[in-house]
Amino acid sequence: MNQEELNNRLSEIRDKLINIEQTMDSRIFLLCEAENSFAVSRFLFKDLSLRFVIATGIDSEDCFEILYHFSNDETGCVVTVKAFIRDRENPSIESITPFIPAAEWIEREIHDILGIEIKNHPNMRRLILADDWPEGVYPLRKDFKR
Amino acid sequence: MSWKIWSLKKSVWVFHVNTGACNNCDIEIVNLLTPRYDVERLGIKLVGSPRHADALLVTGVVTAQAAPRLREVYRQTSKPCVVFAMGACACHTGIFNGGYHVVGPVDKIIREVDPNAIIAYVPGCPPKPEAMISGVVKALSVL
Repeated sequence: MNQEELNNRLSEIRDKLINIEQTMDSRIFLLCEAENSFAVSRFLFKDLSLRFVIATGIDSEDCFEILYHFSNDETGCVVTVKAFIRDRENPSIESITPFIPAAEWIEREIHDILGIEIKNHPNMRRLILADDWPEGVYPLRKDFKR
Repeated sequence: MSWKIWSLKKSVWVFHVNTGACNNCDIEIVNLLTPRYDVERLGIKLVGSPRHADALLVTGVVTAQAAPRLREVYRQTSKPCVVFAMGACACHTGIFNGGYHVVGPVDKIIREVDPNAIIAYVPGCPPKPEAMISGVVKALSVL
């Protein structure tokens, strides 16, 4: 799938997105709300056969963001789904692990250190924090005090 | 010199403990054992159990998860035991100072178990193999 085809296919899910930002030829950001990120990621993975690279969790000023990075290996283009989680009190997002098993650990890590609830995750146990780390304390949140 | 110290200095058997290192120091330690430096010709040998060891080679800041393990490993080594804190992280937590998982540095954790522990520091990120050998020589020469 070349770049032009990719751009055409991405327009199919335009109604689920807030915006499509293309900063350079090989870098596309799909901005969406957390409710739609599952459908968008599923479309990229199942319908466009892009490769899942990694996910990133960010604590922004007024919301949490989760970035799912997908790569189109034929052109080297990286498509990033930027999902905004507006609810800071009870942040949650749908898990993509049911159809991308490789996302299991990174979602567990994001849950550990940012405290974002990952809904329908098949194996949500603690991954990287110490065994005696207190519940409900999330070290990479901006308001974390050591 | 007691016979214990004499026999320790004759041939130092080392147990390597990684307490949260980035693996760079560990790679330099592997470098020590391979033919270029080959510390086994000097009697320094890596062993598989702390109960066989005369010295602990500790790399990395001590993380919250690793601290109880390091204490236990130190308790199980036969005394006298020399602890080598290898690299900037092990010496004074280095760039990870203040991190949420850092409870080190190594000397603080070891002294909780044994206030009179013999601790040698080899700074560097990572220390050169020559520096490590030099650290071992200096530590053993003051025993």
